[in-house]
Amino acid sequence: MVPAYPLGSVLAAVVVVCLEILWVRTGIFRQRAYWLSMLVVFAFMVPVDGWMSKVPNPIVVYDPDVLSGVRFPIDIPLEEFVYAFAMVTFAILLWERAGRGSHPALAARRT
Amino acid sequence: MGKYEYLALLAGCVVLTLPLEFVFRARVWRRPRRAARAIVPVVVVFGVWDAVAIALGHWWFNPRFVTGIELPPGLPVEEIAFFVVIPLCGLLTFEAIRNLLARAQARR
Repeated sequence: MVPAYPLGSVLAAVVVVCLEILWVRTGIFRQRAYWLSMLVVFAFMVPVDGWMSKVPNPIVVYDPDVLSGVRFPIDIPLEEFVYAFAMVTFAILLWERAGRGSHPALAARRT
Repeated sequence: MGKYEYLALLAGCVVLTLPLEFVFRARVWRRPRRAARAIVPVVVVFGVWDAVAIALGHWWFNPRFVTGIELPPGLPVEEIAFFVVIPLCGLLTFEAIRNLLARAQARR
């Protein structure tokens, strides 16, 4: 059986991607700024998350049974990147949805 | 830092991303209502997941590095802060990069 944390992270990512593609349709997946942001977020995750999960003195401690067991880089459980993708993408798509109508380029296209 | 280490780490994230608001004109802090509409659902959804995972013993927090202040249903205050700070950093990054790309395109 797939352990709970990687399973939950992948499910969250799938739900967020479906939410964007099937329902909210902000178009972020077609924006270069979105993909570059994801790269920057992942890059900064390495020191921050690395600090949080540093063995032997982590801030957050995981039951080894819920993890995939792959820790890379440093001591970061690999599934944290999937989790972060889901969380940050969710925030960005909600941000875009909340800003509909305020973007000059989009407003111009609509009229 | 001791018990404030987790909070200090999050504070560091806020301070480090603050220049994006001004230097790259991300304008996330200056649109608090729009930011709240993006961040509050993240806090709710990921907060519920977190509370369930903590209750099931999937993960827990080293008492040396957290204040011990918890909100019902057993969520450390640091985790609530995490679900606000990380999306906020993400939004600042996204808006800053979008502005940079738009400016680069305008110059061409």
